[in-house]
Amino acid sequence: MIVGSQKPIEEIWSMVKDFKKVLVFGCNTCVAICHAGGEKEAATIASLIRMRAGQEGKAMEVNHMGVMRHCEPEYFDPVIEEVKSYDLVLSTACGVGVNFLSDRTGTIPVYPGINTSFYGAVEAPGFFKELCAGCGDCIVHLTGGLCPIARCSKTLMNGPCGGTNHGKCEVSNEVDCVWYLIVERMKKLGTLEKLSEVLPPRNWSTSRDGGPRRVSVEHIREYEEQEAQKPETAGGKK
Amino acid sequence: MTPGQTKETGTYRPYGADIKETRPYSPCRAACPAHTDVQAYVGLIAQGRYTEAFEVITSVNPIASVCSMICHHPCEQSCRRCSVDEPLAVRHLKRFALEKSADYRRNKRRLVGKTKNKSIGIIGSGPSGLSAARDLSDLGYGVTIYERHPVLGGMLASAIPPYRLPREVLKEDIDDVISKGVEVRTNCEIGRDVKLEELTKKHDAVLIAIGLSQSRSLNIPGVEGPGVLLAIPFLEDVAFDRRPDLGNKVLVIGGGNVAMDVARSARRLGVRDVSMVCLESAEEMPAWKWEVDEAVEEGVRINHRWGPKEVRRQEGKVQGLEVVKVRSVFDANGRFNPSFDNDQTTLIEADTIIITIGQMSNLSFLKDSPVKIDVRGRLEWNPATQTSSSKNVFVAGEVVTGPGSAIAAVASGHRAALAIHLHLQGEAVEGALPLQEKEKISQMPPEVLEMISREPRLKIKHLAPEVRCDTMTHFEIGYDEEEALREAGRCRGCGGGAVVDTQKCMACLTCQRICPYGAPVVTSVSEIRPEYCQACGLCAPECPGQAISMVSYDVKEISETLPSVVGRVDPKRQEPVIVAFLCTHHVGVFGFDLPKNVRKVPVHCTSRIDILDLLKAFETGADGVAVVRCNDGTCKYRGIEKGVKARVKRGQEMLGMLGMEPGRLELLSAEAGRGGNPWAAVCDDFSGRVKQLGLRAVR
Ligand SMILES: Cc1cc2nc3c(=O)[nH]c(=O)nc-3n(C[C@H](O)[C@H](O)[C@H](O)COP(=O)(O)OP(=O)(O)OC[C@H]3O[C@@H](n4cnc5c(N)ncnc54)[C@H](O)[C@@H]3O)c2cc1C
Ligand code: SF4
Ligand code: SF4
Ligand code: SF4
Repeated sequence: MIVGSQKPIEEIWSMVKDFKKVLVFGCNTCVAICHAGGEKEAATIASLIRMRAGQEGKAMEVNHMGVMRHCEPEYFDPVIEEVKSYDLVLSTACGVGVNFLSDRTGTIPVYPGINTSFYGAVEAPGFFKELCAGCGDCIVHLTGGLCPIARCSKTLMNGPCGGTNHGKCEVSNEVDCVWYLIVERMKKLGTLEKLSEVLPPRNWSTSRDGGPRRVSVEHIREYEEQEAQKPETAGGKK
Repeated sequence: MTPGQTKETGTYRPYGADIKETRPYSPCRAACPAHTDVQAYVGLIAQGRYTEAFEVITSVNPIASVCSMICHHPCEQSCRRCSVDEPLAVRHLKRFALEKSADYRRNKRRLVGKTKNKSIGIIGSGPSGLSAARDLSDLGYGVTIYERHPVLGGMLASAIPPYRLPREVLKEDIDDVISKGVEVRTNCEIGRDVKLEELTKKHDAVLIAIGLSQSRSLNIPGVEGPGVLLAIPFLEDVAFDRRPDLGNKVLVIGGGNVAMDVARSARRLGVRDVSMVCLESAEEMPAWKWEVDEAVEEGVRINHRWGPKEVRRQEGKVQGLEVVKVRSVFDANGRFNPSFDNDQTTLIEADTIIITIGQMSNLSFLKDSPVKIDVRGRLEWNPATQTSSSKNVFVAGEVVTGPGSAIAAVASGHRAALAIHLHLQGEAVEGALPLQEKEKISQMPPEVLEMISREPRLKIKHLAPEVRCDTMTHFEIGYDEEEALREAGRCRGCGGGAVVDTQKCMACLTCQRICPYGAPVVTSVSEIRPEYCQACGLCAPECPGQAISMVSYDVKEISETLPSVVGRVDPKRQEPVIVAFLCTHHVGVFGFDLPKNVRKVPVHCTSRIDILDLLKAFETGADGVAVVRCNDGTCKYRGIEKGVKARVKRGQEMLGMLGMEPGRLELLSAEAGRGGNPWAAVCDDFSGRVKQLGLRAVR
């Protein structure tokens, strides 16, 4: 899932301070699970903004709300008119949600309430770890199921580097050397000898380097397009 | 809006919607024939909200004060606390709440407008008749009660002895009903003074609620003549203070609760030698164990497993009762079918014998009426519609259900009232009356039981036997406030716990991880198992989706009431404004004052305090906020401590982010029983520390 973390209140304040009516808009999926931007955190941030406004003696109406996801219109459509009645929407969704909503609120700005950090797992309650970089061309079947792109500080495809240090990365003692983990894992799987093959340079065009990416699931698109051509849909689509 | 003033609205899906009626009942509530929401009112008592408890109780029970004295409390018998130690003292708590609300209830009495232009005649003023009268008055019907006795109340007024039910208590309940504008015709026996026909002509519907007002007698030699009395006439004499002459020795035949009342009343009429004889062994006796124990304390002797054979008389005067040994009371199929050993007989001496072997209705007034009586002499009726065989004539209470309890008669009265209402409104009755059986939560699982501290039930005090036998005065001494709060705190709030809004839950596992009792199980969404949940409230403020509501309280209540609790903050104040959230579980939070600058917010457990509540206290102007709990050893909800500490710590970090001193928020601990006023002391110390940090600017 997508992991995020709350922005410092001072940064938030600098974004919102000139608006009169602010909606802190929570997203109840990924960022809720990591306690950064669900409805609860939206309520908390709203409270902090109100207190900050109080400190400055500013008149400000700050409310909160939450929907299941900001990244699919069906979830926020039912409340979009209410959302648009504010001067500013501070979305506590991940960057995807902020972007997506920004296109759909007319003249109302949508600002980010959290920092979107990475794709990660819940290693322990309240502790999240980046494990995938979304490169668009997954190769972890070659590396014991562990991703060198996301988890090696240098994104080495044929590691480890000389900085590996008893299982830790030279960048920080708190970072595991993923190449050490890959070797250990592949030993266990009995596939260590595969590592003797040198992995060729990668084509990064499937990653960010190819520009913004899209995925289109053809059979679903086809159905949707047929639906759109019908003059009026019986079953009440839209 | 003035500077700093803010408004907060709800969420897309409302948080904390009313869900109670969709949930399984607590066993106590399910066991009550009227489904009194025990869990709710005991919880309110524990929070010092007595008049709200009164409202919960009386919403379904028009004879609540009576029940607080004499109910056989099936709620207690089914209390889930039985498997921990002892059941909650529900009846005594009810009495406390009602006594605390005495003025409130009197001020509440109002005439109800007669909006329906239809009237109902009710025959009999026992629990069933009174309940129906109340419901129908509330619905706007004209109601007239016809009662053959000079006072209202049925058996409550005319049979239950005053040492168990003081008549001023009964009067409170009756006044509640009558004040709605119910017309009352006492000393009016239907059949004798007024014909049934007149009633059916005069009213749109008639309700027969005449109970079982005749005692059954025995068919044995010698039973006719002076010295042999029947229970109900005897108890009526006691009730109306006509003191019958009983001689020196009284023998009561029977082993039920009425027999206990007869025997104990005889003791109070000055008879020193009172004994009882019954077919059953001590274990088989139908009387409640506590009734038996109290009678024995008062010197009543019980002869078990003897059957009456003959009343012996000499020159007409009763000598005693010849009895024969009982072999067995029940047959192989468990049916009542006593068998005797005729070789074993004995004589129990007595001057007066009182027969207490059961009651029946007097249906003679129905002869030649369209209301049919079956071959066995019972009123014909349809339980699905509460109707008799005659159109517009309805039935309720023991006349049709047979002997039971006052609260069961109340439930029957409610059903009949609803049936009458539907019928008069031209709606179908069949199938519309609520089911008596309710879904309830099951017993506590062993792993939860282990986590609940043993806290024995707070025994109620009685007048000493030697004192109480000299008088008809009520012999139970009710709880004082401290006792009531302590006892109410034992309730585990069954069925009042957490419920997930599955449309908001994103299966984050937080509740499952934090719950000390293992109640939530998260699959595609969280499901909180009610038999595990203790209603501590720890999970609701933790849920990142605000998906958890609590059945027994409004999760937003604290934050919504804070502005009025804090009030206006004076810019020129000398002392800091402190908001103190106090755990009310360990008693005494109500009975004393805190320093004037401390605003008290009672909470049932600090686990229920949300980070938003803490922030809200500062938002509304507090200079400092204290969360005052008991300690890990005495906390009602073992295992919540870490959660509360973490929440307070987070609050402190947030203050830091706003440039405020984290020390303005503290988790403190205080407990009763160490002399003085521990809450005031910790709050005062805290207030001193906050003062050092300075007062916040008011803008
Ligand atoms: C001695 C005794 C002790 C009891 N103790 C308890 C207890 O501790 N706890 C408990 O829960 N229950 C107790 N009960 C049971 C309880 O009193 C009954 O369950 C309850 O009173 C039944 O209510 P009811 O409305 O059906 O009838 P009743 O209370 O019997 O009321 C019927 C009324 O109708 C009147 N009536 C009858 N015929 C006519 C007529 N023709 N015209 C006008 N009026 C008429 C009668 O006078 C009576 O007032 C006790 C009962 C007795 C007898
Ligand atoms: S503990 Fe409380 S809620 Fe649970 S059954 Fe007993 S009285 Fe009812
Ligand atoms: S904490 Fe809330 S969102 Fe998470 S699993 Fe429980 S109910 Fe669902
Ligand atoms: S944390 Fe408390 S309220 Fe929540 S499910 Fe567990 S026992 Fe129930």
